[in-house]
Amino acid sequence: MLANYLPILIFVIVAAGLGVVLLGIGFVLGRGQKDQEKLSAYECGFEAFEDTRNRFDVRYYLVAILFILFDLELAFFVPWAVSLDAVGLFGIGAMGVFLALLVVGFIYEWKKGALEWD
Amino acid sequence: MVTTVLFYAFAAILLVAALGVITARNPVHSVLFLVFAFLQSAVLWLLLEAEFLAITLVVVYVGAVMVLFLFVVMMLNINVEELRSGFTRYLPLGIGVALVVVIEIANVIWFRSEGQAFVTPTPHAADYSNTKELGGVLYTEHVFALEIAAMLLLLAIVAAITLTMRTRHRPGLKVQDVPAQVAVRAEDRIRVVKVGPVKE
Amino acid sequence: MTVTIAHYLVLAAILFSIAVAGIFINRKNMLLLLMCIELMLLAVNFNFIAFSRMLGDTLGQIFVFFILTVAAAEAAIGLAILVVLFRNRRSINVDALDSLKG
Repeated sequence: MLANYLPILIFVIVAAGLGVVLLGIGFVLGRGQKDQEKLSAYECGFEAFEDTRNRFDVRYYLVAILFILFDLELAFFVPWAVSLDAVGLFGIGAMGVFLALLVVGFIYEWKKGALEWD
Repeated sequence: MVTTVLFYAFAAILLVAALGVITARNPVHSVLFLVFAFLQSAVLWLLLEAEFLAITLVVVYVGAVMVLFLFVVMMLNINVEELRSGFTRYLPLGIGVALVVVIEIANVIWFRSEGQAFVTPTPHAADYSNTKELGGVLYTEHVFALEIAAMLLLLAIVAAITLTMRTRHRPGLKVQDVPAQVAVRAEDRIRVVKVGPVKE
Repeated sequence: MTVTIAHYLVLAAILFSIAVAGIFINRKNMLLLLMCIELMLLAVNFNFIAFSRMLGDTLGQIFVFFILTVAAAEAAIGLAILVVLFRNRRSINVDALDSLKG
């Protein structure tokens, strides 16, 4: 069974090797003379006021949370779809209840306005 | 033979990544190390022939949960130095407890069992579908657990919305309505008035 | 030399103890505590899958699937609480959570 995954293993090894080699060449052959001033963030001649990273808006966060929960819902759907002929009508009913509960959550989310950007 | 090499390689990377999670100075690096640890675990779960869970780990954990962690780290302006103040003071205690846990469990597994109990079964055939086997029992035998999981997800949706959502539309607050602005027509804004010639 | 289930169990034990050590040394940072809990759950999942493979019983894998569900919901709500905490206290230091102390 594991032999089916050989292409993925080769892909991972090639990708990792390529990354290491390319970064390594840059590191070895590069002639950068790094000093404190060169590495610091450039801020129009001032000292840097804060981190160069921009902070994220909180609204992305709610979207990400809801994405996790519906992502998990999809993860529950995959084995169901694969084994549909084995689980039969009972399985369809079980999934119907599962889906109904999550649709309740979806309607709540919609009515509450969590999907609105503004 | 190949699986042995793969096991040791990925297990070593996993442990290095886990050590990186707990020792990295920057929380962003911690999260990225944790992503790396999850990827290595997915490979190790594949070696244990739990394909479906390995893929779920990548899709749900690396794809969603760790992105959420990354969002939170990037959203909060965390004072890292203040939070690391007890680091060296608790380091000996942490290492001590960790060593005790490892020694106890390794003792049980390696020495008490005397290698008898832990047999590895033969690998499955090439057309074996782990997902199909899981699905066959998940929706019939364990149907109540499934519905409880749905309930839990519903609870998590409601909790996440009530905790983090802040409506920006307080009564009386003036806001821009972008769609209305875009959809505006000339007739709504200007009125063309026919002005006749003015007679003296 | 082949890899037996015992190898996976020892690996899980080491992973778990790294997470325990992480909880001790990053005692103040609530975000790191949540991440260490994720690592611990990962180690537990390793044990379940290893035993499931050894015994040829899929129940262990079903259990891991539900653990993943619960852990994702836990991470979502835990991080939501963390965001609310940061909004009120301007810090994620665990020591700042002492309002209920008498």
